[in-house]
Amino acid sequence: MAEEPGLSDQYPTASPWPLFVALGLALSEIGVFVGLFPVAVFGLILFGGSIAGILTESGYVERPWPTLLGVGVVLIVIAAAFALWQVPVTDIALSNVGTGPLFTRLVAVAAAGAVMIAMGGVASVMEQTAA
Amino acid sequence: MVAGDIVLTGLMAVLLVGVAALLTRVENWRSYTPLAGGGAVTGDETAVINREKPAGIIRWLTTVDHKDIGLLYGVYAVIAFAVGGIMAMLIRLQLVTPAGAILGNNAYNSILTSHGITMLFLFGTPIIAAFANYFIPLLIGADDMAFPRINAIAFWILPPAALLIWAGFFLAPVTENMIEPARTAWTMYTPLSVEQQNPGVDLMLLGLHLSGIGATMGAINFIATIFTERDGEVNWANLDIFSWTILTQSALILFAFPLLGSAIVMLLLDRNLSTTFFAVEGGGPLLWQHLFWFFGHPEVYILVLPPMGLVSLILPKFSGRKLFGFKFVVYSTLAIGVLSFGVWAHHMFSTGMDPRLRASFMAVSLAIAIPSAVKTFNWITTMWNGRLRLTTPMLFCIGFVSNFIIGGVTGVFLASIPVDMILHDTYYVVGHFHYIVMGAIGFAAFAGIYYWFPVFTGRMYQRTLGKAHFWFSMVGTNITFFAMLALGYLGMPRRYATYQFDGAIAPLTQVATFHQLATVGALILFIGQLFFVWNIVQSWLEGPKVEDGDPWNLEDDGMLDREFQWFEEQLEADSPEKDPSLLADGGQEEQDDS
Ligand code: HEM
Ligand SMILES: [Cu+2]
Repeated sequence: MAEEPGLSDQYPTASPWPLFVALGLALSEIGVFVGLFPVAVFGLILFGGSIAGILTESGYVERPWPTLLGVGVVLIVIAAAFALWQVPVTDIALSNVGTGPLFTRLVAVAAAGAVMIAMGGVASVMEQTAA
Repeated sequence: MVAGDIVLTGLMAVLLVGVAALLTRVENWRSYTPLAGGGAVTGDETAVINREKPAGIIRWLTTVDHKDIGLLYGVYAVIAFAVGGIMAMLIRLQLVTPAGAILGNNAYNSILTSHGITMLFLFGTPIIAAFANYFIPLLIGADDMAFPRINAIAFWILPPAALLIWAGFFLAPVTENMIEPARTAWTMYTPLSVEQQNPGVDLMLLGLHLSGIGATMGAINFIATIFTERDGEVNWANLDIFSWTILTQSALILFAFPLLGSAIVMLLLDRNLSTTFFAVEGGGPLLWQHLFWFFGHPEVYILVLPPMGLVSLILPKFSGRKLFGFKFVVYSTLAIGVLSFGVWAHHMFSTGMDPRLRASFMAVSLAIAIPSAVKTFNWITTMWNGRLRLTTPMLFCIGFVSNFIIGGVTGVFLASIPVDMILHDTYYVVGHFHYIVMGAIGFAAFAGIYYWFPVFTGRMYQRTLGKAHFWFSMVGTNITFFAMLALGYLGMPRRYATYQFDGAIAPLTQVATFHQLATVGALILFIGQLFFVWNIVQSWLEGPKVEDGDPWNLEDDGMLDREFQWFEEQLEADSPEKDPSLLADGGQEEQDDS
C-alpha cells in the first residue's frame, strides 16, 4: 500500500467518519431494541469501528485497533453484567439463544464485542509483525 | 423467521463490506502515522494539502465545516416542514365535513401523530440548529465549532431518525400492516402507548431517541463553542442576543433531552421486555406524564427561545435603533430558562393531582408570563419612534410579535386552573400552541432565512414573492388558528377524526363552520409556502449576485454585525484576481475532478 494521505489528511474540513458513527448508532439501537440479531451485531461493529476511526483521525489515539479491541471488551462486560443481574444462571446456555428476549439481545451484544476483539487483536498483531 | 434472519445477515454483511470498501477508497487508515509500515514520509504529501474540500456529493457527506453543516440542517428542516405541512393539509381537508372527508380513523390518528412529531423534532429543532451552526461561529468570531466532528455526527443522526419516525408509513404496505405508523399522539401517553402492539411504535420511539441524542450532542457543542471559542473582542458584555438565546437553549436541552431519552428507553423496555415502569403495579401510568412533561414544557422553550433571539437580533436592524433594554432581554431569557423547569404540571391539571401542588404550578406558570411580556414590550419599544423599513424579514418579525402576543395571552388563560378545566383537550389548546409554533417560531425562521439569504447564497431573494409569502402566511395563520380558538370555546375536543357527536357536547353547525374556516385559512397558508419554495429555489439558482457586503445598509446605523463583516471579506476574497487559496467556501475548483 502506498502511503497516500487519507481524505481527512488532505482536507482539513472533511471527515468520512461522522456519517458512519451516526449510521452505526442507529443500526445498533434498532438491532438491540427491536431484537434483530444480525442488525444488532453489524450495527455495533460499525459503531465501534467508526469510533476507533474517528478517534484515530482526530489524533486522540495513535492506532485504531486497540480502541476497537477496547470497545469490544466494554460491550462484553456490559452484556455479561446484565446477564448475571437479570437472567437466571440456569438459562445462560447457547441453546437458549432465540428464546429469552433479553438473553438473545445480550448474546448479540456480546457477539459484536467478540468480533471487535478479534478484529482489533488480529490487526494489532499483523501491524506489529509487519513493522 | 430463520429465513428472515439469513436475509438480514446477508444484507448487513453487504452493507458492512460496502462501508469498509468506501472508507478504504476515501480514507487510508495506514497513513496516520508515517512511521508504521514502511514510512514513505517523503514527497507526495505536499502536493495535495492546499484545497479545502473534496468535490461533489462526497463534500456534503464528509464535511465538518460549520457552514456546510448549517446548510444541511436547513435543507433537512425545510424538507421536514414540507412533509409535516402536507400532513397538516390532510388533517384540515379531513375535517371540512363532520363525517370526515378523506381519511379513516386509523389513518387520521397516524397522520396527526406524525405531523406533531415531525414539526417539533424534525423541523423545529433542526431549523434552529441550522441558523446556530452557520451563524454562531461567525457572530462570535470563532473559526468553527468547538468539536466539528461531533457537530457532523449530530446532524447525521437525524436522517435515520426521520426514517424511523416515518417508518410505519413505508412499511405498512410491504408488511401487510404488520408494522403500521404509530398512533400514540406526540405525547405518547401510557397505557395506550404500551398496549399498542404495533412495532411501528418501537421504530418511532427509537427515531425520537436518536434525534434526542443528536440534539444533546449539538447542545454540548454550542455551550463549549460559546464559552471557549469567542474572539478576543467578544466578551459576555457584548455577546450578541442570538448567542445568548442559543446558550440558554442548549442548557435546557442538556437537562431536558436526556430525560426524554431515558423515559423513552423505559417505555421501550415496558413494551418489549415486560418491565413495569409505567404499569399500574409498577410506577403507574401517571409517571409517564410527569417524565414526559418535565421534558415537554422545557421543550417548548427550547423551540421558542432561539426564535426570540432571532427577532431580537433582526428587528432592531430595520427599526434603525438598538434593541431596547438589551440587558433585560438577556435576563428574561435566563429567567425563562430557569422557570421553564417548574411549570410542567400545568399540562396535567385535570389528572386529579393534589390541589395544593396544582396551585403552586399555576403560580409559577403565571409568573413565567412576566419575562415573556418583558421581551414583548422591549420589541415594541424598539420599534417605537423608530425608522421602520418594512422589508420581508422585518414583516416576519412584526408578524412574530403579533402572533406571539395572541399565543402568549391564550397561554396565560390556560395556566389558570379553572379556565383550563374547561378548555383542556379542546381546540383552544391547539389554537394556542399553533399561534406559537407556526405564528411565532415559523415566522422567526422565515425572518432569519430572508435576512441572511445574501450571506449563505451570495444572492438576493425576490422581494415581491417574499412579501406575498408574508401576507399569505400572516392571514392564513390568523384565520386557521383563530378559528381553532373559537372551536375550543364551542367545546370541540381535540384529536378527533370526525365530529358527528351529540349536539349537547357542542353546537354542531357552528363547529362545522369554524372547521371549514380553519381549512380555508390552512389553504391560504399553504399557497403562501408555495411562494416561499419558489422564491428560495429560483433565487438561489439565478437571483442577482450580491456585490455589497452590507445589503441591508446597516453600516449607516452602526449596526453591521460580525457575520456581515465576514461576508464582506468573503466577497473581496472571492473576486477572481485575488489569491485562490482564500477561496474558503467554494469547494474544489471545477476542472480537476477526482
Ligand atoms: C403549516 C400550518 C399548520 C397547520 C394547518 C397545522 C394544523 C394542525 C392540526 C389540524 C392539528 C390537529 C389538532 C387535533 O386534532 O388535535 C395539529 C396538531 C399539532 N401540530 Fe400543527 N399545523 C401547522 C403547523 C405546525 C407547526 C409549524 C408545528 C410545530 C413546530 C406544529 C405542531 C403541532 C403539534 C405538536 C400538534 C399536536 C399533535 C398531537 O397532539 O399529537 N404544527 N396541527
Ligand atoms: Cu407547558
